[in-house]
Amino acid sequence: MRYDFITIIKLVAATFLPVVLSVALYLAEKKTRFGKVQYWKRQTIIGVLFGGLAVLATEFGISVEGAILNVRNAAPLTAGLLFGAPSGIIAGVIGGVYRFIATYWGAGEFSQVACTIGCILAGLFGAGCRKFMFDDKKPSWAYGLAIGGTTEVFHMLLVFLTNMDDVYGAYKVVALCALPMIICNAVSVMLSLLLVALIGKERIKKHFKSKQISQVFQFFLMICVVVAFSGTMIFTLFLQTKIAYANADKLLELNLEDVKNDLEKSLESGGSVDDEIKRAVQNRHIGQSGGIIVCNEQGIIIYDNGGHVGESIYTLKNTEDVKAHPDARFTAIIGETESYCMFSVMEGYYLIATIPVSEAMFSRGIAVSILAFMEVIVFAALFAHVYFLLKKLIVDNIHKINGSLAQITDGNLNVQVNVRENEEFASLSDDINATVDTLKHYIAEAESRIDRELEFARQIQHSALPSVFPPYPDRKDFDIFASMDAAKEVGGDFYDFWLVDSSRFAFLVADVSGKGIPGALFMMRAKTLIKDLAESGLSVAEAFTEANKELCENNEAEMFVTAWMGMLDTQTGILEYVNAGHNPPLVRHKNGEFEYLRTRPNFILAGMDRTKYKKYELTLEKGDEIFVYTDGVTEAADTDNKLYGENRLKTVLSSSCGAAEDLCRTVRADIDQFVKGAEQSDDITMLCVKLNPVEEEEKISVIPDQSSIETVADFLSATLEKWETPVKLANKAKIAVDEIYSNVVYYSGATTAEIILTEKGERLEIRFEDNGKPYDPTTAKEPDITLSAEEREIGGLGIFMVKKMAAEIDYKYWNGKNVLVIGFVSK
Amino acid sequence: MKIKKELENNVLVLALEGRLDTVTAPELEREIIDLSGVRDLVIDMKNLEYISSAGLRVILKAQKTMNTQGSMKLKNVGESIMEVFEITGFSDILTIE
Repeated sequence: MRYDFITIIKLVAATFLPVVLSVALYLAEKKTRFGKVQYWKRQTIIGVLFGGLAVLATEFGISVEGAILNVRNAAPLTAGLLFGAPSGIIAGVIGGVYRFIATYWGAGEFSQVACTIGCILAGLFGAGCRKFMFDDKKPSWAYGLAIGGTTEVFHMLLVFLTNMDDVYGAYKVVALCALPMIICNAVSVMLSLLLVALIGKERIKKHFKSKQISQVFQFFLMICVVVAFSGTMIFTLFLQTKIAYANADKLLELNLEDVKNDLEKSLESGGSVDDEIKRAVQNRHIGQSGGIIVCNEQGIIIYDNGGHVGESIYTLKNTEDVKAHPDARFTAIIGETESYCMFSVMEGYYLIATIPVSEAMFSRGIAVSILAFMEVIVFAALFAHVYFLLKKLIVDNIHKINGSLAQITDGNLNVQVNVRENEEFASLSDDINATVDTLKHYIAEAESRIDRELEFARQIQHSALPSVFPPYPDRKDFDIFASMDAAKEVGGDFYDFWLVDSSRFAFLVADVSGKGIPGALFMMRAKTLIKDLAESGLSVAEAFTEANKELCENNEAEMFVTAWMGMLDTQTGILEYVNAGHNPPLVRHKNGEFEYLRTRPNFILAGMDRTKYKKYELTLEKGDEIFVYTDGVTEAADTDNKLYGENRLKTVLSSSCGAAEDLCRTVRADIDQFVKGAEQSDDITMLCVKLNPVEEEEKISVIPDQSSIETVADFLSATLEKWETPVKLANKAKIAVDEIYSNVVYYSGATTAEIILTEKGERLEIRFEDNGKPYDPTTAKEPDITLSAEEREIGGLGIFMVKKMAAEIDYKYWNGKNVLVIGFVSK
Repeated sequence: MKIKKELENNVLVLALEGRLDTVTAPELEREIIDLSGVRDLVIDMKNLEYISSAGLRVILKAQKTMNTQGSMKLKNVGESIMEVFEITGFSDILTIE
């Protein structure tokens, strides 16, 4: 045995050092704050520690028969594979550089370059494998074994390559070191990976149902390569053995022949046989350490370079038959060296030519070992290359396509699959894109069909809502406007109104719980039912009670309706109303503010079939207004999801005046301003009813001369007195007429003028029409009213006063006439 | 418009009744065209309905005259007329009781 017990213990210890360090660092990363240290700092620390391990390996090499064994390369490899590329490279450089300079204080000079390069490359190799082969993850232990072994084989090849001028020496070192160092380094790397995986409770072996493509390729590649390489190895071994035998035979034969010739020549010139034989063989070397042994007939050695003179030739340990034939090769132990021998009988002496087996077989050994190393390297390269090619050409592209497909499956049909690295994938990409395009086309077609149908549905639904305004042009006693803006194509909101008889007028607003087609269908049913029941002479509450019963039947979809319905007697102003869970409407009395009509609502329609609906009553005066709406108004949301709200609705309504349509349009415009372009999420429905005030009108036509001023003033006084206009309002009107009309008389040059007075509730309107030169008093320059008495001017003050006192003032030049309308309200 | 006139110890009291507008303003203007010897002018507006810019012009003229020879004040100014004075800034330059 070349290795004693102590050596083996040392080797095992050297093998386990990187394993222990790996486990310790792994635990530190997992369990302590070390794991939170910055990445580069951590990599540097790990790199330095493993580099230190490589230094230790160099310092404490294990000496076996003159060669130094060590487990140096496992450290940088493990660092690179287990902890990350940077740490591997750092450890490799530290180990390599130390090995290089360590030569100056005792490390072997012979393998200085090989070990330095080997160590640096081990770090790079581990880093590269982790980075490019394993996607920066820890590889499994089997890869560790293979990578560790391959790295060490490469190390051995480097020993040959860097010592080409001393091949024999290199071979000697490699023959001794190769096996233990390859095994120890490979096992060390493997154990590190295995233990860390075990500690981390990671699955050591992944159980794929089917193999990866690269594994299939690698398996067949391995079989082919192993068969081919084994064949080559056996053939080379056989051939090299034969050549070595032939060479040894030739060498021994030629030397014996030369000695024979020399001896014959020297004997012819006379001399003793004994001396001449000695002289003939004396300086003869066969190969480097072979020679010729001479013995006499009794077998006693009389000459030998190895110093065995006097001993019996038979004490030489034969490995083959001692009774060898002359001129035939046999094997014997000469001294302690196994050698090939050949003998020849000459002048009664035996001449035995010897050459050590190791020397004869040297070329065979070096050829076979280099071949074996090369094969390992080539196989590893092929293995990695197949892995890379498959990964790059197929696996990565499949992942890319899968990524795109996942996006498409998630609903983004605009994703284009675009893998064009090779023809097959390009064609696959095109096919997928074409399929998706076709699919998109079909979806678009289906969508447009649904859109068309929804559009029809919307039209039908809208045609079911009364939409011609004013609906009763001959009714001056009340004003109605309603609108419904659906959020989707068809909405769940609806409104309706109709004349029950000559004085009673019914109106309702409702919101169905669902939108889209189902909501619209339910809405149509509810609308028809309520109208039919209300028209059949039932009160609003009875109509709701009955409609609710009907809607509750067969309501599998569990939809419901909130609704508000009123019936207004336009003569008495009595409004009967019923509320089924609907938003409270707003009412404005006598030009005051809008207030919410908060009476307790009943339960929703289609909710519970036994709900009894209660009728409420309210009296509206002439000029009063009621505004009914759905929650789409108050719950209109802006881009920050802030709601429009009841307060804003109340404020906006209170600050606006005009016809029912104006109120609805003002609210709608305010909602649009509020939501700032956010998408409408619910139907917006509004309905406004206004009990019109009685309207009165008086007018006077005059020729505008100075005397007419008093005529007009008297007409105004008389009219206002007749209408019982409040004094304050009347005085304002009188001032306005004096100012405007005196202007017309003195400055316009008009030949005719007309003054029309209109009273509508609390509102008084004065309309001036004259055919004078165009003059817009609303644009007149305003006087400075802060000056002292001495600086004051009266010009422009009249118009200024009128503008200040009027609620509105409007001028237009129309049909050759100045038309000025001034409105007043009593407040 | 009716104007009641009382002069006592250099104090002239003018009581106006009706409206003071384009038509009637010249009447008042005639009354105040000669204020010589008047130290204090008092205009009583108790029965005045309203006043327009033509009336304001005459009031301003009287105020300017009285600024040079004595004082002028208005009394019994009703709500409507006060509103006109305020709108036009006349309330700042008149003495209103």
